[in-house]
Parts: sequence; C-alpha cells; structure tokens
Amino acid sequence: MRGFYIVGGYPDREQFKKCLNAVASAGFEFVEVGIPFSEPVADGPVIASAIHEAVMNGVDIEAIMADVREMKQKYPSIKATVMTYANIIHGYGEKKFSDDFGDILSGVIIPDLPSRMHYWMMEKGLSIPVIPFVTPVSRNEDIEAVKDTKAPFVYYISIMGVTGSDKKGAQNDRSETAKKLTGKPVVTGFGIRTKEDADRALNTTGGFVIGTEVVKRQKDFDSFCKYIQQFR
Amino acid sequence: MDKKMFFGEYGGQFVPETLIPALDELEYWYNKLKKDDKFKAELDTLLRSYAGRPTPVYKAENLSKECGCEIYLKREDLMHTGAHKVNNTLGQALVTKYMGKNRVIAETGAGQHGVATATAAALFGMECTVFMGEVDARRQEPNVKRMQLLGAEVVRVQDGQRTLKDATNAALREWVASVENTHYIIGSIVGPYPFPEMVAYFQSVIGIEANEQCKELGFDPDCVVACVGGGSNAIGIFQGFLDNPNVEIFGVEAGGVSDKDGEHARTIGMGKPGILHGAFSYLVQTPQFQVADVHSISAGLDYPGIGPAHAALNDSGRVTYGYVRDDEALNAFKMLTRKEGIIPALESSHALAYVIENKDRFKGRKVLVNLSGRGDKDMAAILERGLV
Repeated sequence: MRGFYIVGGYPDREQFKKCLNAVASAGFEFVEVGIPFSEPVADGPVIASAIHEAVMNGVDIEAIMADVREMKQKYPSIKATVMTYANIIHGYGEKKFSDDFGDILSGVIIPDLPSRMHYWMMEKGLSIPVIPFVTPVSRNEDIEAVKDTKAPFVYYISIMGVTGSDKKGAQNDRSETAKKLTGKPVVTGFGIRTKEDADRALNTTGGFVIGTEVVKRQKDFDSFCKYIQQFR
Repeated sequence: MDKKMFFGEYGGQFVPETLIPALDELEYWYNKLKKDDKFKAELDTLLRSYAGRPTPVYKAENLSKECGCEIYLKREDLMHTGAHKVNNTLGQALVTKYMGKNRVIAETGAGQHGVATATAAALFGMECTVFMGEVDARRQEPNVKRMQLLGAEVVRVQDGQRTLKDATNAALREWVASVENTHYIIGSIVGPYPFPEMVAYFQSVIGIEANEQCKELGFDPDCVVACVGGGSNAIGIFQGFLDNPNVEIFGVEAGGVSDKDGEHARTIGMGKPGILHGAFSYLVQTPQFQVADVHSISAGLDYPGIGPAHAALNDSGRVTYGYVRDDEALNAFKMLTRKEGIIPALESSHALAYVIENKDRFKGRKVLVNLSGRGDKDMAAILERGLV
C-alpha cells in the first residue's frame, strides 16, 4: 500500500484540493488527510510549521471533509484516511464524526491515541476503524492486543522520534512481527524519503506513507507532482 | 475502562504509542517506590535537610486585620529554589535514579520548575535539558541563567505562542526521541497517567504537614485556598483537607485582563472538556477545537489546561473554582509585601487576592492560604508595571 500525507486546507483550499486529487489520480492506494490541530506533538518542524500556518488561517473541518468527499466520488477506489489529534475528533463528537464521514473514510489515524485508549473513543461513538500504531519499542503483547483491528492496515512508526526525523530506522525492527501477529499489511511511516526507502518498506511489510517530504512541496504543485510520480 | 488512569471521567493516556512502554515502566517504579521504606526515608531526608521541610504555617496578623478574617500562610515560598516545585523534582529525580536513567528533561513556564529540575539534576549528577517558551525565557531571564549555572541546557522554544504549552509540546517530542535513557519530569499534575497521580503524591506533603500544623495550633481551618494553573500546589495542600467535610476548599484561576478570548487563563471557568498533553480535562479551546491562546500576568498560570484531578473536584462540587484578575493579584502582591514583609510569587498572589476580594465570604473565618512561591523571579514584571 502506497500512501501520502497532506495537510488539509493547506496552504489554501484550492491548492489542497489539487494536491489531494493529484495523489488520487496517480493511482496510489491511500491518502492520509491531516486536519490541523494547534498542538502537533508527534510532528517534526516541517509538518508542525505547516499545521501552525493552517491553524493561523483558520481550520474548517467541514470544508476539508467536503473536499475529501468530492475526491472520493471521482476516485472511488482510493482509500481515504484522516490523521488528526484526539481533541479534534472528541470536540467534533466521536459519533457525529463517524455519522458524517464514516462512508468516505477507511480509517482514522490519531497520533495521541495509543491502542489501549481506542476503547475510550469507541465508547463515545467512534465507529470508523482507528488505525493502530506499532513502534520499535512495542512489546509482543502490545501488538497482539490489536490483532483483531478492523483497520485496513497497521501503521509502523519506524523511528523513535517525530515525523521527518533524520534518525536511521531503529535497530529493533518490529514491522515483521506486526505483520505476522496481525495478518494485516504494515505501512511504514516517519522517516521515509527516497524511492529506495519506500521500495524497501513496500517489499518487506507491504506499504509506506510519506508525509514530511510531501508537505514540504505542498505549496509548489509542480514539484509536489514530480515528487510523488517517482513512487508510481 | 481502566479506572486507575482516571479521576472521575478525567485523565487517561493520550500520548503517542511510542511512550507507552515508558509510562508502564514509570507506573511500575512509582507503585513500587511509594511503598518502599528506603526510598521514602531517602526522600524524606532530602526534603528536610536539603530542601527545607517542614515549612511553617504563619498567621498573618496584619493582613488578617485588613481582611476581617484569620489568614494563615503555608510558607512554601521558603523552600529551596523558591517554591513548592522542588517537592516534586526531588521525588521524580529519585525515581529516575532508581529506574537507572541518567538524563532528565522538563518544561517550564515561569522557570521555577525548570530551576527545581536543574537543581535536582545537579544534586544527582544527571544530565538535564529544560524547554522554555521564548516569550517566557525573555520575561524570566534570570531563571534561564540560574538553570544554565546549575548545568542544565535551556532550549528556547519558538513554536506557537512560545509559552508553557509550547514548551510542553517540545518536551514531549524530545521524550519520544530519547525515552530509553531519559525521564520526563513533568512539573504539574498534568500529562498522561501516572504523572497526575505521582506529582500529586509528591506534593501531598504540603497538605499533610499543614493539617498537622493547624492541629498543633489548636484548630482546623474553615477554608483552604490555593492558586491553580496546572494545579500542583493546590492539589498538594488540598490533599490534607479533602476528607474533612467541614473545610471549604477554593482553587483560584488566573482571570487575566478580561473574559475576552486570549485575555484570561480560566480553564475551568471558561473552558470545556478536551484533550491536551496526554490527559482529558478542562481545556480553553476555540469553537473549532483548537487550543486557545491564554493570558495571565503570572507565567506559571499562563496555561490553557488543568490537571484532571481538579476537573473531577470541580464536577463533584468538592472544590469551588473562582478567579481573580491580573490587577487584583498585583494588589494582593503589594499588600502582603507591605503588611507582612513577604514578597509572594505572582502565582500565589492570586490565591491571596481571592481572599482579599471576597472579604464577606471569609469574614471571621480561619483561612489557610498556600503561599506556593516567592516573588524574587517576578521583579522584572513588577518593575515594568511601575510598582516601585
């Protein structure tokens, strides 16, 4: 599974729509749309600064999701996911978020909602699958706890750090174990930059997602398209 | 639902998955050490011989006369490093030592927690990095220098509003990247479980002591009052009195300049439940669920969140949460200085101001106020406002 993360509504609505549709029309399997939150604690400087800029300009959840819906109507086969922090979904309402957007989303990625807290949002009515994380320090029991996930994939955070870190992938690679224990494709994120990084992830565990390198180019559509094309 | 992580419905562990094993490790050590006689004796000795416990309860006669009630001050301002913060940093640094880690990080607003962490790190020979918002670093420059003198690295955070919440974001990011050899000494009763419980435990010494001291003086207070930012000094003193239904308890939030957006830090008064820095609690937020800008004259109260224990105490009605404005806090600051010869921190001045501004409510009653810190660090802010 090949996917890209883009910041919703950034740098403005039109440019975001163009980037979103570019990912979908290029035939990639999924897109991860960020709904900006003012406290992006899991994000490194590139994504955090894009998010801060988006927050300063005003975040319109309905508008972002309307653009995702329009894209899905044009490209029904791509899986759409939303990446946002817990307060956004809780504030909007777990049930309302599911009722309003459950039909267009294959999953939600919530970086400050670890697997053991999924129940908290599900009890409040979140019915869209929460994509579980596996990290280099996940223990077998952590991975086993998410083996019945309804999410389309497991998200493997390959480094101990925030998005876009230039750390090397951790020594203790848990992605194979995650694949074995959950039987789901494992998408590797955080720190994937080059075609080689992406191919390695695709060949070993079945997927990758690229964020920082894409967000860096979100203001320059030509360079954005050129960058994503190499992963086709 | 894992009840141990919650105070009523508030609390939890809303953090990146990467931190979960470290939180489990911390929970294991905290539960083990709080029952360990050797650990407790070691901490007790440090608090007494190094940090200056017990702190006295002092009857402020002159101020009492002004206010028409009996005001007693719990003198946490006399603690080493100038505030109650060191109760917690010594405790957590000792936990760090037992966990076998050799580096600590911390966030700081006014700089008090940063200084208290740098102090504990110097004492224990640990590496220390403190994250401080650029705006706070500028308004509390002497504390930046103190931390550096103590051997800590101070990182000036340039994101967002460049205050305490942004420093906390930066510290959380750093912790994710260094969790294997680093402990994050959170400065208040905020953050993911077990931090709110553990910090409350280390601060409970304030209330336990104060309760005993009042009894020795032959009374139970009618009221206990403390300022609340994240809420660690407040929960510290409250814990000595929550079980006594005859004691009325008040938490005082920073009312800033007005109730307009961005001009106050009234988390309980103006916020609604939300998720920040690892916990579900009250949160000042915008209609689009972004964390809102807040303001207080006091850097230590300039925070949009509050500890989950306070959210629960508010909802249950056990504690009444009020507020005072910046100018009322300044007035209290002046009054204590002139009437008693004690220069309080601007944070603690909020608690005093609440008593001064609500004289009728406290008339004739015995009121115990937590004087959580001293005002040396606030000289620049005070001079700016032409008080001298």
